[in-house]
Amino acid sequence: MGIETQLVKKLVQIPIFGALTLGEAADFFDAASEVTVDKGKTLFREGDSSDSLLVILEGEVQVTRKGVELAKLGRHAVLGEMSIVDGAPRSATASALSDVKLLKVPSARVQQQLKANNLSALKVVAHLAGVMSKRLSLINDKLAEALGQDKKREELADFSRTLHRWEF
Amino acid sequence: MTSAEAANHYFKKAARIMDVGERIETLLATPLRELKVQVSIELDNGEIRTFAGYRIQHDNARGPMKGGLRYHPEVDADETLGLASLMTWKTAVVNLPYGGAKGGIQVDPSKLSVKELERLTRKFVDQIHDVIGPTRDIPAPDMNTNPQVMAWIMDQYSKYHGHSPAVVTGKPLELYGSRGREAATGRGLLFVAREILRDVGLAVKGTRFAVQGFGNVGSHAARLLHEDGGLVVAVSDVHGGIQNAKGLDVPALFEHVRRTGSVKGFGGGTACRSEDVLVADCDVLVPAALGNVITRQVAADVRARIILEGANAPCTPEADDVFEKKGVLVVPDILANAGGVTVSYFEWVQNLQHVTWEEERVNAELERVMKEAYEKVGQISRSRKLPLRTSAYVLAIGRVGKATVLRGI
Repeated sequence: MGIETQLVKKLVQIPIFGALTLGEAADFFDAASEVTVDKGKTLFREGDSSDSLLVILEGEVQVTRKGVELAKLGRHAVLGEMSIVDGAPRSATASALSDVKLLKVPSARVQQQLKANNLSALKVVAHLAGVMSKRLSLINDKLAEALGQDKKREELADFSRTLHRWEF
Repeated sequence: MTSAEAANHYFKKAARIMDVGERIETLLATPLRELKVQVSIELDNGEIRTFAGYRIQHDNARGPMKGGLRYHPEVDADETLGLASLMTWKTAVVNLPYGGAKGGIQVDPSKLSVKELERLTRKFVDQIHDVIGPTRDIPAPDMNTNPQVMAWIMDQYSKYHGHSPAVVTGKPLELYGSRGREAATGRGLLFVAREILRDVGLAVKGTRFAVQGFGNVGSHAARLLHEDGGLVVAVSDVHGGIQNAKGLDVPALFEHVRRTGSVKGFGGGTACRSEDVLVADCDVLVPAALGNVITRQVAADVRARIILEGANAPCTPEADDVFEKKGVLVVPDILANAGGVTVSYFEWVQNLQHVTWEEERVNAELERVMKEAYEKVGQISRSRKLPLRTSAYVLAIGRVGKATVLRGI
């Protein structure tokens, strides 16, 4: 198994793999395999068991949750990264918007590496924490905005009720 | 307290009684647009003079904005904003489909020739024509502006936008003006007087009125009250006053004013100072001149039991408090003198429909509008135990507020 050195060089430019040296990256992606998915097919569904982390090598993938599109992801985007941390079922559905080529890293293998204090796996998890933290902060902003909108509606509604009490 | 602060004072008082909340209060008080423009003209002698022009648009939730245009050396942004908000509340009280605006030029028009005034007016229109219009903002005459000025505005605006008589009201009768417009504010005062006097078990007939100011508002009010059987016991203008406890012969007084230009020196009564009219022995006082003439001190000496505010803000807020304590009924400006803007609305309606109403129709519609407004304000006053002024503001805030909520932010 193993992947081409050219590809490894590209993979270390992806944020969560950014701290890896080329050697460590080769080690981390040791068990990885390339898979292809045809346009319109589903990569995985919300609720499926999480068996792998995926890196998009070619093509475009749509991520949805309860029918709502969360993101469109392209080349070098990472999918299912949470699977290497919590092993919980897939939280969203991913489908191929075009023919897609993916690099599949089995999560079981990463979890083994972590148990063995494997440096490359630990570095990836540490970076993943950074990516997650940024994502959480974005979600917090959106949450604050959404709650704020509720407040505005509430204020207008309060005013409307006040006017109703005065019965003009 | 400036008239702007006074207008805001009454608005805030009512908004707090209604408990609309701080943010809604700010939303309603904040003007939509404040425009200040340079108005430069060449005088007849070739000199260039530059004046500051203003158009302040306060609120348009209920419709196109409406308000006067004044030429006065003391015009400024603050005063204009206060008067613009007063127009929002006034048009709401009488339930016209309008918002409020006000404008003016900081100029002493008595120092300009007619040709210079025309150039000034046209230049001002050049600067504001894209924010006014029959469905945007419709100016009207105010201090030192008249039907001729409105005709120039209509003409200049029409050069940009095509024939548009509905862009201004208060135009000359010969140029899309409305019958009944000139006497409208005075006639509105008469209708309100009839209503409030009936409420206290009286009638215009036999009631004693004192009228301060004998201009467009005061003179027509005095004439119409007299024709309705009222006793006009005191009148004044800037030059002086005249009193007669048995009632002045108003038609003879009109003739005197036509000949001399003032009520001063009229033979049918005793001469007095202008300010004496405010404290004359009467039942109803109609201050129809300038703002802030009835201060706390004057209010303490006022002998009338009813005040009809023909002018805008003739009573200071302190005087208003004195009247409330004394149990004097004050019919506030935003209700009492709304006859003017109401007939302006009729003029606009006639212009938009390309029709002309007979004066009887104008007066009958005016009576209906004034009666309905008085009735609504009276209802709120009785049911909430509030003075008429606060009740009028409550009604206005309610109407503007409902339109705002329905439209959404």
